[in-house]
Amino acid sequence: MVKVKNPFVAALANIAKSQDIESFKKIFDYFSPRLKSFLMRSGADEAIAEEIIQETMTIIWTKADYYDPKVASPSTWIYTIARNKKIDILRKSRKAILEDIETAVLPPIESKADENIEHDQKFDMVARYLDDLPADQLDLLKMNFFEEKSHGEISEITKIPLGTVKSRIRLALEKIRGKLEQDGTMADLNASNESSMIN
Amino acid sequence: MTFEIVTTPANTPASLLFQQCLVEIVPDNKIMNMAKEEVAGYFLDKIEPTTVSEDLWMKVLNKAQIKKQSRINTPTDPFLNQLPVSLQVHLADKKIKWKSFKDVKIATILPKDNNEKLELIHVMPGAKIPQHTHEGNESFLVLHGSYSDEYGSYKQGTVQVRSDDHHHTPIGHTQTGCVGLAYTHGKIKFSGKFGKLLNLIAN
Repeated sequence: MVKVKNPFVAALANIAKSQDIESFKKIFDYFSPRLKSFLMRSGADEAIAEEIIQETMTIIWTKADYYDPKVASPSTWIYTIARNKKIDILRKSRKAILEDIETAVLPPIESKADENIEHDQKFDMVARYLDDLPADQLDLLKMNFFEEKSHGEISEITKIPLGTVKSRIRLALEKIRGKLEQDGTMADLNASNESSMIN
Repeated sequence: MTFEIVTTPANTPASLLFQQCLVEIVPDNKIMNMAKEEVAGYFLDKIEPTTVSEDLWMKVLNKAQIKKQSRINTPTDPFLNQLPVSLQVHLADKKIKWKSFKDVKIATILPKDNNEKLELIHVMPGAKIPQHTHEGNESFLVLHGSYSDEYGSYKQGTVQVRSDDHHHTPIGHTQTGCVGLAYTHGKIKFSGKFGKLLNLIAN
């Protein structure tokens, strides 16, 4: 199986292992402007968006050892941290409730600061599958999972019947799930989940 | 039904924490959740970047230097240890305050905020909860053991969604009892005998 290198997997590992500023800068340079677009599109003004970016970057810096390249691609891990921060900060009380939820669901892994660290191919397969989807179908997924719109809202915007919206999204998700299951990773995860359910 | 719940945007602390627990308890949801998150991550990659302020990197650096690498200590309490890790982490530095109602104990996980709240419910073996309805919707995730009511029995990893007009009288499993996570929009309304009294206490 061909494994593809993802520079951010290595960067996160370097941060976890040796608090490498250069790797941190690499992540900041790539993700901050993207997070800013994402946050501003979901209702944050510029100042708040940058505040959320600061918080997100701090979490990446302090919790990089929680990142497991088998469970999520770097973009996904960083997205979830920013999304949780956004939910916390956009609430009136501004209490930090969610900071630790996503990053700590899985126990910290031993960091492997290895330049040749392999990025799990399944995430690239998911990206390629999405690259090849017709634009109208991709839009449904984007609205649902990136813009966090409900099926009802999507149906209204696109004028596609609700049932069709649901079935199209479900179909695409099933395909992606199939790709994620293609190696042994999920079987391992499920096994560990079952053992934790017994005790 | 479970699928429907998971596709609802998790955009509040209570709904997000509930979904995290659901994802942990049900392996099938875990993979589906991974799929959804990957879709979101994909779009973060593709989004048109917006220039950030020139001093943002320095601000980030300053902040990162102040914050020390901190490990989360999960609780040593055996009861807490059997909860989903997301909940353990959330409860790590807090002391759970249980409110006891005879054989049922209730602890607030996230206090009421915008008409929604998250509670941990511990029903002792064989305990019967007085008939009640729910104000707004309640999603109940069985974390351990099981319980039954007039309509069926519900085991670990299942979610029941009840609307405000649903009356039921749950009973904890006679051997295991039941531990569950209740995500409620609004307050629970007791409808049976002693209902008013219980309402007062529960509120």
